[in-house]
Amino acid sequence: MEQKWALADPTMGIIFVAASFAFFYFVGWYSQRAAKSSTDYWTAGRSIGSLANGLGMASSYMSLATFLGVTALILKLKVPFVYMWIQFSLSIPLITLWYGTPLRRMGAFTPAHFVRERYGLRTSYIVASFMILIMLMYALGQMIGVAKVFEMLFGINYNVALICGGALIVGYVTIGGMYGTSYNAAFQMVLMGVAFIIPLGAIMKAMGGSGWYFPPLLYADMVPAMLERVPDFFDMKYGFKWYFALIPCFTIGAMGLPHLGMRIYTAKNLKSARVAMIWFTFFCGITFSATYTMGFSGVFFQATSGTPIAPTDLDKITLILNSVYNPPWVLALVIAGAIAAGLSTISANLMAIGALIAQDIISTFKPDLEENKTKIVNYSAMAGAGLISILVALNPPTFLVVSILWAFGLAGVTVAPLVILGVWWKQANRYGAMAAALIAGGTYILVSPYVAPNLTIAGGLPAKLGMSGALLCVPLSFLLMTVVSMVTNRIPALVDKLPHEADKKLVDGIHGWTVYNEQRYNSTAAGVIVSAVSLFFVIWALMPGGW
Amino acid sequence: MNKAYKKEIWYTLGFTVLLLMSGHLGLLFVAFPALQGHMIFGFPSQYIIPVIMGWLGLMVIVTIQTVLTNRLDDEIEKMDGVVDEI
Repeated sequence: MEQKWALADPTMGIIFVAASFAFFYFVGWYSQRAAKSSTDYWTAGRSIGSLANGLGMASSYMSLATFLGVTALILKLKVPFVYMWIQFSLSIPLITLWYGTPLRRMGAFTPAHFVRERYGLRTSYIVASFMILIMLMYALGQMIGVAKVFEMLFGINYNVALICGGALIVGYVTIGGMYGTSYNAAFQMVLMGVAFIIPLGAIMKAMGGSGWYFPPLLYADMVPAMLERVPDFFDMKYGFKWYFALIPCFTIGAMGLPHLGMRIYTAKNLKSARVAMIWFTFFCGITFSATYTMGFSGVFFQATSGTPIAPTDLDKITLILNSVYNPPWVLALVIAGAIAAGLSTISANLMAIGALIAQDIISTFKPDLEENKTKIVNYSAMAGAGLISILVALNPPTFLVVSILWAFGLAGVTVAPLVILGVWWKQANRYGAMAAALIAGGTYILVSPYVAPNLTIAGGLPAKLGMSGALLCVPLSFLLMTVVSMVTNRIPALVDKLPHEADKKLVDGIHGWTVYNEQRYNSTAAGVIVSAVSLFFVIWALMPGGW
Repeated sequence: MNKAYKKEIWYTLGFTVLLLMSGHLGLLFVAFPALQGHMIFGFPSQYIIPVIMGWLGLMVIVTIQTVLTNRLDDEIEKMDGVVDEI
């Protein structure tokens, strides 16, 4: 008989969580003392060292799902899930390579800041609106998750848990700004790593695994027993299109997430930003690999112990395994780690929403605000972003609580192509950018099962996660951007309305060239190639089958 | 067009290909099913190779990327304004 899992004694958990919050507030208060201007508040004075930045980058990516949620996905998807997760480690290296360092050189606060300089105010409002929507969806999932953990831990009503937990989170993020968020995120990553990997080693040892001293990779001796009980665990059950769609949806999608790019802008210098990405790949890799081991152990536990887990508890496997194999204080540490994972993501999301509101919207209406008034705007934008997240999480509209993975695709369609082409191709212009964001973005929303279920490109999971939509709309966005830009650049009446020379000089400047050269980043052939390749993928995405 | 500019373009394209390959090795196993099912380090090949390449392989690529692109920055600084047709 399946029994619903419940936390036996929450006392230790409450102590660990309370202590970690006290620490986050102290770090937030202590580090914000260095913030003297808006640049300090939103980019930590561009002073974060490579190790702290690498930890912070990884931490922003480790969401509550690392502890609660992905284990359920592993049970459902098995090996394809691992493929889906592995590629998330590409985000920061690709962002750094394609636009992170140029935007850091430009002195950007957010990617929307670059869009404003490159394509003008109207386009930046559209992009900033999409970014705020994406960040809100992202933060909402984490806020709801943290509230549910608080509900379980304190035995209180969900709404009370959400308001109290949410207020605590918004408080420390608002006080700390990017300084506090960065140093807290670094600490949260360490806490997550310790709380996830060391207890996992103890679980593996108790299960009889001989590689318990390095859980991320050493569990091969458990594989034969797993194959005997769950023969399809390592099967690849989807078609080529499913695996290929991971690229536009999640790899390019992650390149459009503003809170990841913003981490690069906090770096001391470009070299430090690049070293940070080595640390990022290390910390991300070790935690992700341990996540697969945890999922493997969950399936192994269910298959070998004969203990059935209720379907509603599948996302709590990490907690269940720790409650079965480890003492209560270890379970308490794991809960503190799970909350730290949620907080690190929410704080990065809130920083992005706050910066978008303060720097990309309010400051464009009131560009000459005095410094003390700017400070009030900064704090208000942060606190307001948090308040909105809490209020929306109280009774979230259905369209906002769709899978966060779907929001990755939206970022890949509406943000990434504009920034990538804007940095690397002088011929990209605001007409192309607006057409790409509005038409491709609108199409992505339209072909999702949440708006028009009959219009989806592929049914089931690929449509729900945004994979089929992104396979069509990411190349569509690149296609529109290149074709519309090339056509409008040849219509004198339209070109006259563009600050073309300034745009082109900006492109040279952010790559580090102080002496302008017309030929650099200005190839028409490159535009034609991108259009042709994009058209091919649009047609391929529309062809039935292959999933 | 000077050397540093050409190098910047080639590094960006080259590292993109390498990064995508390290993070999307699953595609190889779907495209060539005969590669699946071989046991490597005690795990099925289609599982452990993408896991290792997506972590340790990626770290190696990113380290090389860091060294080369940092050097390139210095080169761009030096070559700024130099138009050496090649």
